[in-house]
Amino acid sequence: MISLKNLTKVYGHGEQSLTVLDNLDVDVANGEILAIVGPSGAGKSTLAQCINLLERPTSGQVIVNGEDLAQLPERKLRVARRRIGTVFQSASLLSRRTAAENIALPLQYLGVTPAETKARVGELLERVGLSHRANHYPFELSGGQLQRVGIARALALRPAVLLSDEATSGLDPETTRSVVSLLRQLRDDLDLAVVFITHEMDTVLHVADSAARLENGRITEQGSLVDLLTDHDSALGRALQPHLSPAEPEAGSSLWHVTYDSRKVPSDWLQLVSAELGEPVALLAATIQSIDGTSTGNATVGLRAPAHLATAAFARHGLRAIPGELAIANAALDHSSDTRATEDLQWA
Amino acid sequence: MGINISSAVQVHALSDTALAELPSLLVPALGETLAMVGIVMLIVIVVGTPIAVALHNMAPGGLFERQGTYSVLSWIVNIGRSLPFLVLMAAIVPFTRFITGTNIGIAAAVVPMSLAGIPFFARLVENCLRDVPLSVTAAARASGGSPLQIIRTAQLGEAVPAILGGLTINTIAMIEYSAIAGTIGAGGIGYVAVTYGYQRFDNTVMLATVILLILMVTIVQLTGDALVRAATPHLSRRK
Repeated sequence: MISLKNLTKVYGHGEQSLTVLDNLDVDVANGEILAIVGPSGAGKSTLAQCINLLERPTSGQVIVNGEDLAQLPERKLRVARRRIGTVFQSASLLSRRTAAENIALPLQYLGVTPAETKARVGELLERVGLSHRANHYPFELSGGQLQRVGIARALALRPAVLLSDEATSGLDPETTRSVVSLLRQLRDDLDLAVVFITHEMDTVLHVADSAARLENGRITEQGSLVDLLTDHDSALGRALQPHLSPAEPEAGSSLWHVTYDSRKVPSDWLQLVSAELGEPVALLAATIQSIDGTSTGNATVGLRAPAHLATAAFARHGLRAIPGELAIANAALDHSSDTRATEDLQWA
Repeated sequence: MGINISSAVQVHALSDTALAELPSLLVPALGETLAMVGIVMLIVIVVGTPIAVALHNMAPGGLFERQGTYSVLSWIVNIGRSLPFLVLMAAIVPFTRFITGTNIGIAAAVVPMSLAGIPFFARLVENCLRDVPLSVTAAARASGGSPLQIIRTAQLGEAVPAILGGLTINTIAMIEYSAIAGTIGAGGIGYVAVTYGYQRFDNTVMLATVILLILMVTIVQLTGDALVRAATPHLSRRK
């Protein structure tokens, strides 16, 4: 269990000061994975450094299992840091040590006996599925394997909290999936509170139970993934959904953008709405997936029925429909930001 | 000391030294050069490394940032790097005499050579440490390491191949300095080269010392390269 209370980080003094984190309140329970997302410069890296206490917050608390770590003196802080395991973006392994020796590093720092270290390292290697790579050097490992070693090292001291600081950024999609499923497995097995900081929105859907959006040093939105995805007012929920390019509607029919807006959307809504409107609804684009057993997603459809009838028919099945013009306007908005970084695109 | 000024003056032949006499001239000189360079390098490593670690970690972003102390230390190191060796050697004669009681011989050469070598090595190692990714230090801190543990395992440990490369450069520079020190009577290959080869136009000795110096530097360089390879996993573990 980790709680951040009124966490604030200010760099510099007086006129020149820059508030990077502004009064953040975040709770992550044991066995929960919270994804913190946000564009570049939102303060994600600073937040990561405040969570694992490599940087001391200017004010506020970092509470792990009931103890506030933020105000501890340096020596105690070093000990306290061991309760938080960190997985870094580039695994940051020692290049002249083998996988096993890298995993042993925190144990070596702690002064654990060689026999105990060996046993623990063997256990950790097995947990991350790298027993057969124990004596390989980092240059002999793939990106995913490096990250697994990084995860094993982060877990060496049996932390209560695991912080993943862009740990899957830069990995290919398949490797990302395997690292993410390892994190979920570990979360279940070890009852970890996991803070997953990322700028990759599509990874969030695969890994997180809940998500928070960090913008300009503030948490602007926070909630369980299902709540965010089924709330049409949630910008974060919208940003988490993949963007689709719909097919052209038939002449005479108009375009509708439909989102799952409740937890009780029937799986055959397309047929139900078609029957109610007395015309086949054309499916032009769709993405639907189950998050914790609840269907979420969005679709673009084409139909001829008058607007008020269509809206009402969709609403009866927990869907929210917006006429096509708006959807097209949204798409145009997306295109206008093509020049921005890819990660920002997802926020358009 | 195998060669000293009085014995050198007695040999007054205008012809070149016979090949058969070369070993008796060069072997003791080689011993002196190796002794000078060896002692100096030992001092340079022992004193220079901590200075480099201090410089690196007191600089912004280091483990214990101390802007003021960093500036002072950096300034002192720069002074040591500023003077050409010949000038430094001449300038600190009183200091050398105070430390060793003499201003000729190996002991007297070791003082200016160390003073020139320490800041040189400190800067080389500081550079090596700067090349270690910051994320490696961050990971070591996050792993609960104390500053000393982090310096040893993450910073110096990761920089070992680069430091060995720096050590090679530094050793070769010290061989060069030992030849310069030789001209003020420290002995060694440099002294033989100057007194026989330059002042007496003894081409045989001149050529022999040149070859000897080339051989020495080559051996140091090859040894250094081999050590760097052995210390770098992706160079030593080719499958």
